[in-house]
Amino acid sequence: MALKVSSIPSLPRVNSGVARMLPIATTLLAATIAILPVPVPGYAALTPAFTLMAVYHWTIYRPDLLPPIGVFAVGLTQDLLSGAPVGVGALVLLLARAAVLRARRYFINRTFPFVWTGFTLLAAAAMLVLWALHCLIQLTFFDLRSTMFRTVLTIAIFPVASFALGRTQRALIGAAG
Amino acid sequence: MIRPSAQLRAAIQRTTPPLLILLSAAIIILGKADQTMFESLRTSLTDDAAPALDALSRPLGAVAALVDRVRGVVTMYQDNVRLTRENERLLQWQQIALKLSADNRDLRGLLKSVPEAAVSYVTARVIANSGGGYVRTVMVNGGTEQGLARGQAAIAGEGLVGRLTEVGSRAARVLLITDLNSRIPVVVESSHVNAVLAGDNSERPRLFYVGQPDTIKIGDRILTSGEGGVFPPGLPVGVVAALDPGGARVEPYVELSQLGYVLIVDYGLSGALPQPVPVATRPGRRSKPATANEASVR
Repeated sequence: MALKVSSIPSLPRVNSGVARMLPIATTLLAATIAILPVPVPGYAALTPAFTLMAVYHWTIYRPDLLPPIGVFAVGLTQDLLSGAPVGVGALVLLLARAAVLRARRYFINRTFPFVWTGFTLLAAAAMLVLWALHCLIQLTFFDLRSTMFRTVLTIAIFPVASFALGRTQRALIGAAG
Repeated sequence: MIRPSAQLRAAIQRTTPPLLILLSAAIIILGKADQTMFESLRTSLTDDAAPALDALSRPLGAVAALVDRVRGVVTMYQDNVRLTRENERLLQWQQIALKLSADNRDLRGLLKSVPEAAVSYVTARVIANSGGGYVRTVMVNGGTEQGLARGQAAIAGEGLVGRLTEVGSRAARVLLITDLNSRIPVVVESSHVNAVLAGDNSERPRLFYVGQPDTIKIGDRILTSGEGGVFPPGLPVGVVAALDPGGARVEPYVELSQLGYVLIVDYGLSGALPQPVPVATRPGRRSKPATANEASVR
């Protein structure tokens, strides 16, 4: 059968079109949720990185259904809609996907704390890269504190996102691969 | 079912991620070199997403309204006492204002001064923010269909919020005064000293190029100066809240992180922002003919 290709494993085939679209659709939804104007003081600057959570989840459980081109498209959409410099979100999400794919075998079939620890490492690294890229593009030194708060918030919200994504995945696609 | 050969698929799967990463990096560099490159893409995508964002942000607004209502019920008695007192004071102010307004009219008549341009307003709802601390913008549900145009000022309640930087047909982006790229010519109300209010992504933008820095005091009111033709003069912006070594910090009058609705001010000025692409506007909506705008760009 299929020859062992890079690190994308052969996962059970999904026939339903809706289910196949689920990873990209939820990642796009995450990008939309991230720019909703929640009326909480200071929220806009500290919005958790919802798309990163979706990319992490799907890269671990169904990397076949969230191809790099999908990640790229969602990243670009996010950049364009949020008013950020175009390409930054796409680049960070693609790098995150590549990193998670490399370490995927350590997270598969593990307990949630293990998966959460993995996300903590990823979120910290991704936020730092994001911060560095923005500093470089704007040629200025952004305050690291707000990035740190945002990272902590992202890590803290992850269990909720993971639960929601896991539930929709089980309902539409089937058990985690 | 037709399938490409296994080797070809493997090659595609291997090379796509690094290629896309390189493409993203290239896009960042291109976008940095030419800021307007992705603007039409941005506005068209924003236009497409506006209805969805509009619908999704409505429940949030409803929740905020509910919270306000509950809070209002709880503090009703204190509010009533405070407002009654405030009303008495304001009635006195009203008399003073009426008298001053009459005086002003008479004196203007004596001086034969040119009447100020009529201002029209468009109310727009905030449907998205920038999600993350590196840009400070909000998206509003109004565009060229409602008569909005680049460079117009956005105000909310007590003061200036920002200006329109990208305007699509039904959605527009407001660059907040706290954004790193925001520069607004302002004037200190008491001393008439000119300055530039520069955002730095913090909650309190800074005053740069102050004419006489020693005259700035904490508590000074900062208004738009109208210089450069971007904003009408005299819009309240904020008060000087701190005197840092790097420059005075201004606390905006408006709580920018909790914007619900904004007023877009059409002052009939074209604004100093260059028009990148001529956007097809619906004729007859703007109060001013297009030629007046073009003439003032120079």
